[in-house]
Amino acid sequence: MKVYDSSTGTASSPEQERVKVGIAEYEVTTSDETLTTSGLGSCLGVALYDDAAGVAGLVHVMLPSADGVEDPNAAKYADTGIETLLLEMERAGADRDRIRAKVAGGSDMLDFSENGSGIGVRNMQQVEATLDDLGVPLVSDDVGGDHGRSLRLDGASGDLMVKSANKGSKTI
Amino acid sequence: MEVDIQSLETFNQLAYEGSQQATAMLAQMTGIQADVEVTKITLMDRDDIGEELAGQSFVGIGFDLEGALVGDTTLVFEEACTGPIVEALPGGAAGDELVESSVEEIGNIMMSGFIDGWADFLGATIEHSPPQYIEATGADVLPDADDPNEQVFVFKSHIEWPGEDLHFYIYMLPAYDRLTELMADSGTGDDAVPVDKLSMFNEMTKEGTATAAANVTQMTGIETDAEVTQISFAPVEDVPKQVDNKAYVGTAVEFSGTPSGYLMILFDEESAMNVAEALMPMEPDGEGFTDMHESAIEEMGNIMTSGFIDGWANVLETSVDHTPPRVVHDMGRAIIDPLAAQVGQHQEHAFIIESHMQTDDLEFGCEIHALPDDAELRQALDDLDVARKDETEPDVERIFE
Repeated sequence: MKVYDSSTGTASSPEQERVKVGIAEYEVTTSDETLTTSGLGSCLGVALYDDAAGVAGLVHVMLPSADGVEDPNAAKYADTGIETLLLEMERAGADRDRIRAKVAGGSDMLDFSENGSGIGVRNMQQVEATLDDLGVPLVSDDVGGDHGRSLRLDGASGDLMVKSANKGSKTI
Repeated sequence: MEVDIQSLETFNQLAYEGSQQATAMLAQMTGIQADVEVTKITLMDRDDIGEELAGQSFVGIGFDLEGALVGDTTLVFEEACTGPIVEALPGGAAGDELVESSVEEIGNIMMSGFIDGWADFLGATIEHSPPQYIEATGADVLPDADDPNEQVFVFKSHIEWPGEDLHFYIYMLPAYDRLTELMADSGTGDDAVPVDKLSMFNEMTKEGTATAAANVTQMTGIETDAEVTQISFAPVEDVPKQVDNKAYVGTAVEFSGTPSGYLMILFDEESAMNVAEALMPMEPDGEGFTDMHESAIEEMGNIMTSGFIDGWANVLETSVDHTPPRVVHDMGRAIIDPLAAQVGQHQEHAFIIESHMQTDDLEFGCEIHALPDDAELRQALDDLDVARKDETEPDVERIFE
């Protein structure tokens, strides 16, 4: 995890950096970068942002809960991923009372589970429960269905653009 | 030789941390911040290593390793990387004649970073030779094979510079015997996988792929070749990175038996059109990828899946059933991600069985990816032992007689 702020200088900085968030990873920006993640199937992208502080973050979680997992990679699970992202954003200056959440992904494509809910649905249930526990309002979502998604979070506005392979794109 | 899952995880982690350390060294010297995308251990034919590099120009920095770990390691940079690296060095913008020595020097320091963690873990020293600078196309950037048909383990890391769309790779090819000894010694003996049988499983998969390829040819008249088969081991969250995120069309099934798991047959969009149209008795109604195309791909996927899975079942002398195929047309990573997540509910790492086939004269590429449950894969390999217990060494040719 790296925190991207205006002081981060690299050998070459394109005008507005796009920061890729891989599976089971999260990133925080304090300088209006665009955070992107791609290829969400049953995975969920959870975007958190605090407009006033100019802090935004995105986590790409794969499974609902880290319960019972020894030494988990926090960002792989919805519960620990959201908690970790929130703490990191607070460290970067965000105020929990102002943080809002948007969520996309959690498709039930290729869900072979015969009994009970599929992973996409359970991921979303866990995200809702964790956000509720943390007191973060979920302001919009684009979840479920049978198609994959890629996301682009505008760190400045909190706009979350959701693209799918065959169903066009929309901003939530 | 028995290697347990824990050792595979540990060694994969060492390669990942080594790659991170090498990348940190690069950042320290040049300010270039790169990210390690994926690190995996793969067992494959020596001759097929680096197949993914085909057609591109690279600069390689090669090293011989000696001591606790024996073998070759090569840092492979896309040719376009060398300019930014040299420019970013203090005093940068060196003349051409200095590029080679600058890149060598950086490679040398990165290599020290790469192997330090291994040496610490093994509690022994690993020496590396001076860097050797190589400019080459494709897999020629890697050392020549002594025995092209031998199956070997390769540790492969893919590293990306965000914002630059530049990539580099680290290939470590340890001597097979020494590596498997080290892995066997560092394990606890639980959940052990007989590594020699893994090679055999690869051979079985090759047979399955050949059958699937023959099915394609028989049904469409498209002659396929260049099949590559490999078995890799990686954290489940890295599994979706095995495929590109471009659009694919294909089928997925869940298979059950020993082993059980998931199998995908994926065509890129253009190949899917070509295959589907070769199967159709008449011109399709409508533009683009129609329902007729989709049902043709479903049929093709069904037959290829059966060909592939029956190959395993025959050798393992078990029955492996599969669900009817589900057709998918989506981003590659979104297709594989739900399957990786389903496997990931029970295990932290996964074996990934991959085969590729293609043709030269027509746009045709097909990838087969299987994700077996690792406990059942171990069981399948053990059963292979029981079924052939009169043989001390697995002998693929005899089994396929």
